[in-house]
Amino acid sequence: MISSINPTVKAGAILVPGVLLGLMFDIFTPLVYLIFIILVTFAFTDISLKRWLLIFSPFVLFIVSFSWTRMLYTSESFQGGAILFEFWYFQVTTEALMVSISLALRSLCFIALSLLFILTTDSTKLMLSLMQQLKLPPKITYGVLAGYRFLPTFKHELEILRQAHRIRGVGRAKGIKGRLQQFKRYSIPLLANAIRKAERVANAMESKGFTGDRNRTHYHEMKVRRRDWVFFGSMVGALFLTVFMSYYFGYLNIFGREIN
Amino acid sequence: MTNKWHLKEIVLLSILGVVFAVIYLLAYGVGQGLVGFLTPFGLGPLGYEFIFGIWFIVSIIAAYIIRKPGAAFTSELIAGTVQVLIGSPAGPMLIISAAIQGLGAEFAFAVTKWRDYRLRVLIAAGVFAAVFSFVWHFYQSGFFAYAIGLVAVMFIIRIISGALLAGLLGKWISDQLAKTGVLRGYALGKELQKKRERNDAA
Repeated sequence: MISSINPTVKAGAILVPGVLLGLMFDIFTPLVYLIFIILVTFAFTDISLKRWLLIFSPFVLFIVSFSWTRMLYTSESFQGGAILFEFWYFQVTTEALMVSISLALRSLCFIALSLLFILTTDSTKLMLSLMQQLKLPPKITYGVLAGYRFLPTFKHELEILRQAHRIRGVGRAKGIKGRLQQFKRYSIPLLANAIRKAERVANAMESKGFTGDRNRTHYHEMKVRRRDWVFFGSMVGALFLTVFMSYYFGYLNIFGREIN
Repeated sequence: MTNKWHLKEIVLLSILGVVFAVIYLLAYGVGQGLVGFLTPFGLGPLGYEFIFGIWFIVSIIAAYIIRKPGAAFTSELIAGTVQVLIGSPAGPMLIISAAIQGLGAEFAFAVTKWRDYRLRVLIAAGVFAAVFSFVWHFYQSGFFAYAIGLVAVMFIIRIISGALLAGLLGKWISDQLAKTGVLRGYALGKELQKKRERNDAA
């Protein structure tokens, strides 16, 4: 199961294909890889289809918007081919349509990859793994974890602020100037409180003997096992295989240059 | 780098990263709204550009308050990582863009050798964050396939947004915070304290 893969290796397995996909400008490569990611998602995790679709589908809408623009404003390198349709002063050619579909599929790949990561990764384990595998300084990792734990209290504090304002007769703001005033009234005290907390937490950590020394022991030891590398290898390998297939069938297009 | 830092400065960086990660996530909602509004005109991608500066703001605030090398970069990186912890749909790729934006802001402070924190440097930090992030998106989001005119307009809007929403707003927020007195233990608060003492003496 992917939820038990080491978080740092998992992040690498998402990042490497994510960055490499930026090179591809054909339809075949991102489409095949997208299908691969979706297959992996449902074969090796227990994410339900409904939950996945609920998060995934709003992005489809959003990506359609981007592709629409891309199709209307395509750079010169992608303006060849027959004219499909014209309106206002726009001309949409087959190549423009192709590249906008390719970029839309690429964005869908990014989102599918991201969901594969965030829906299977525990945030504390990710930080612990970043500290133990990537040797991030413990001062920063524990600082972030402490800050992260404060998140729920911010909501509570906002509620208190609101009530405090109401009790003193400060109502809801009207107009743009009022809104700006209101923004200042809420944001500055919230941030000020957060800073006070940071100071207190730092004092508490130091008084309990936290020195930030890198030579420390860990209660939860995060290890990299062989199957973590198998996962990494198959995510990256699948992309190379897809690129090879796309080259073999003559679809491959890297930065507007067709390679075959 | 972390050896020269006080623990409280690092925890402050982290808390700022956490707070602004939430704001960054909310900004996505605003951006999506703008995109939806502009789509019928065929200008959807411009929606994000108008508010892009907000995603650089923690660099400017952290660097302005703490005034040490690495503050701009680290705070942005933390904000990016925390967004992943909270569960941003942009996922781990966000850490890369955060690092690149942070480097952009850090670059402006590095040029002044981390000594100058006047408004113009803060604005330059916002602008450089915009430039660096644009180069990355040029690759990652395939701006390469856009018409050159549209890319130019996006670039200019992003730079202006970086200057105003990150540079100017970042300074304003930090100054307001310094006035409340919570920053007494940090470089910005100390500077304000000195100024006050000088004014009292005069």
